[in-house]
Amino acid sequence: MPFQSAFHQLFTQDATIAAAVFLLVVMAMIGAFLLSRRRRKRGQDPSRRDKADRLETGYVLALAGIVGFLVYSSFAANAREFPDPHAPLRVQVTGYQWCWRFHYQGQPVTVDAQCNGGPLPTLVLPAGRPVELDVTSVDVVHAFWVPDLRFKMNAYPGHVNSFTLTLTHPGRWIGRCAQLCGLYHYGMDFYVQAVSPAAFDRFLRSHGGTGTS
Amino acid sequence: MTARTTPVPYASPADEERDGWPQWLLSTDHKRIGLLTIGTALILFFFNGGIALTMRAQLAQPGQDILSPQSYLQFMTMHGTGMIAVTITPLALGLGVYLVPLQIGAPRIAAPRATLLGYWLYVAGAIMLIWGFLTPEGASTGWWGYTPLSNSIYTQGPGQSLWAAGFFLAGAGMVLQGGTTLWTILRLRAPGVTLMRIPVFAWAQLVTCLMVFAAFPALLAAMVLVSVGRIDPHLFTSNAWNIGYENLFWFYGHPVVYVMFFPFVGCVAEALATFSGRRFFGYQGTVLSLLAFAAGSMAVWGHHLFASGQEINDYFSLTSILLTIPAGVEYFGFLGTLFGGRLRYTTSMLFALAFIPQFLVGGLTGILVGNPTIDYHVNNSYFVLGHFHYTLMAGSVFGFFAGFYLWFPKATGLMLRERLGRLHFVLMVIGVNIAFIPFFILGYDGMPRWMATYPAGAGFTTLSLISSIGAGIIGLSMMIFAYNLWISARLKVPAPADPWQGQTLEWVTSSPPPRYNFDLAHPVPRVRSYAPLLDLRENARKSG
Repeated sequence: MPFQSAFHQLFTQDATIAAAVFLLVVMAMIGAFLLSRRRRKRGQDPSRRDKADRLETGYVLALAGIVGFLVYSSFAANAREFPDPHAPLRVQVTGYQWCWRFHYQGQPVTVDAQCNGGPLPTLVLPAGRPVELDVTSVDVVHAFWVPDLRFKMNAYPGHVNSFTLTLTHPGRWIGRCAQLCGLYHYGMDFYVQAVSPAAFDRFLRSHGGTGTS
Repeated sequence: MTARTTPVPYASPADEERDGWPQWLLSTDHKRIGLLTIGTALILFFFNGGIALTMRAQLAQPGQDILSPQSYLQFMTMHGTGMIAVTITPLALGLGVYLVPLQIGAPRIAAPRATLLGYWLYVAGAIMLIWGFLTPEGASTGWWGYTPLSNSIYTQGPGQSLWAAGFFLAGAGMVLQGGTTLWTILRLRAPGVTLMRIPVFAWAQLVTCLMVFAAFPALLAAMVLVSVGRIDPHLFTSNAWNIGYENLFWFYGHPVVYVMFFPFVGCVAEALATFSGRRFFGYQGTVLSLLAFAAGSMAVWGHHLFASGQEINDYFSLTSILLTIPAGVEYFGFLGTLFGGRLRYTTSMLFALAFIPQFLVGGLTGILVGNPTIDYHVNNSYFVLGHFHYTLMAGSVFGFFAGFYLWFPKATGLMLRERLGRLHFVLMVIGVNIAFIPFFILGYDGMPRWMATYPAGAGFTTLSLISSIGAGIIGLSMMIFAYNLWISARLKVPAPADPWQGQTLEWVTSSPPPRYNFDLAHPVPRVRSYAPLLDLRENARKSG
């Protein structure tokens, strides 16, 4: 799954750099405290030097190098995320106040539920096959977020956001609405479930017509 | 210079007697307007903090109903809008209204009536926001007020309309205050005070005011759009208007976080220099970085919209991550000042020192969320709440207290109790970190923002409880702070003109300063650098 691997690779890399920078700054502060104590003990006055232009220039250049690397990583990871927006299997994901509806295009199959304490809708997808999700809304802005897949996409009224998702192995993950959408925003949960292609075909057949899941 | 043509008047006895309410509320003295602004914002800090504590009580355990979902959203909207529009922004700009004329040797602020009008517009805005909060169907769309949720179909009742009006008025008031501070820096500097000789705090105010001028009009336009949606909601059935509103709002919404940041960077810089006993290190680099930061801040708003699917990811990722360079230069100045200093650990210094690593957590996580790939996961989650509470609360508010403890004796003529100040500091460090570290983990584990409650099985319970305990400790620390103000006002330990061995011009005049800041007993000395009083001390030592 490109979202997960791209996220984890980049997050690990950038979080490591961030942790190193944090430690360096804290160590520098402790060093400054110790130097200050020594200065006090020896009765020395504070330094009167007010700049170190060459050191600062070198520092900025080093910083620019790191920033260049971070920007490059950002671009590279972003480019990995959306390989191909079009896949043969398309599901229309519609957010509404306050639940989700999943319609399998070209199939008489629509999954709907109540959320908010009632049954949650489940987006059933075939494992190993790319699926195009077309995310939209019928009222206010929502956001389709599956935390374990490390991805979310906003759902706008009058606009469709498309992306391709390939779930590599069977499983079941919780999804949540991540955009404030009114009173019951907190209960607008759903499931994403990846099943084997055979089980997926059975699902489509058994839910022919209407159905909740 | 302009100040040459204005003879500095004596403080007349009549000036000393002007202390009734009308003289305060209608004063054109920038010090009074500044203190009114800061005082009002501090009261609202307690109010909005109390709102936050109520929300943390609601979230301490799953499935509670201390607050109904409707009330929770109203509390959350009040907390966010209240802290940003009528608390931290006025604290940031109010400090400038009070301090900038003193720091540049000016007798007054430029256009003081406009500054005063700015204060009253801000008060009117704050009243409207609170009024909207108190109506039964109050504003409940968060501080972004996204359309179409904020239009009259999805959010009924007058609360949301009052919210838009209040946000608008407070923003307009801040434009006036920022404008007059900017004008003061550019036109009213005392002879010899060139732009490269104003203190770091004054430079921080200058770039802040530039951002206010560039960004706040977008807020006013955005609030007009929300108002249109209150009248004719059908405008927002078209996606162009909704995504347009989001871009417009963040064109204000991102620069405002730097408006709520730079003045406190200035506070930290002054506190670090003063209590290290040396001039601020790398002044020119810091000034350049402030200007670059302000310019760059106008080009990063789109990183709030990565998950909208309608944004140019690479461009906004580039501009956002580029801000690392000016931020890094500021840290170079901070650390360079500490190295080679002889540190005095006053309360002000402690807050300034804690600012450095704590804001860094907010800044470094900010670089993380500047990557679309990472933002797709953590956007709108508690991770982002953790990020910006580290910048605003663990950063800006700590910077504010560094400045508050530094300048309180100057503004009031009274000393605060140091030991109570240290207790306030220690409790606040503990509280802030216990409250906000869990946010990062909660968000990473999938907890969205704006949840009025959460189910018991979601795995959010333990960390939410820890965070609520931390919030309680912050509340306790603020009680200590309030007690410190009260007891210091009663004990009345008089403050000398310069209790800290200050370096900038405000410390040359009396505490509190006379009506026109400097008089014959306290003239503006010759200014040859950005630390004129340090120059005087060094020269005296050389010749004596």
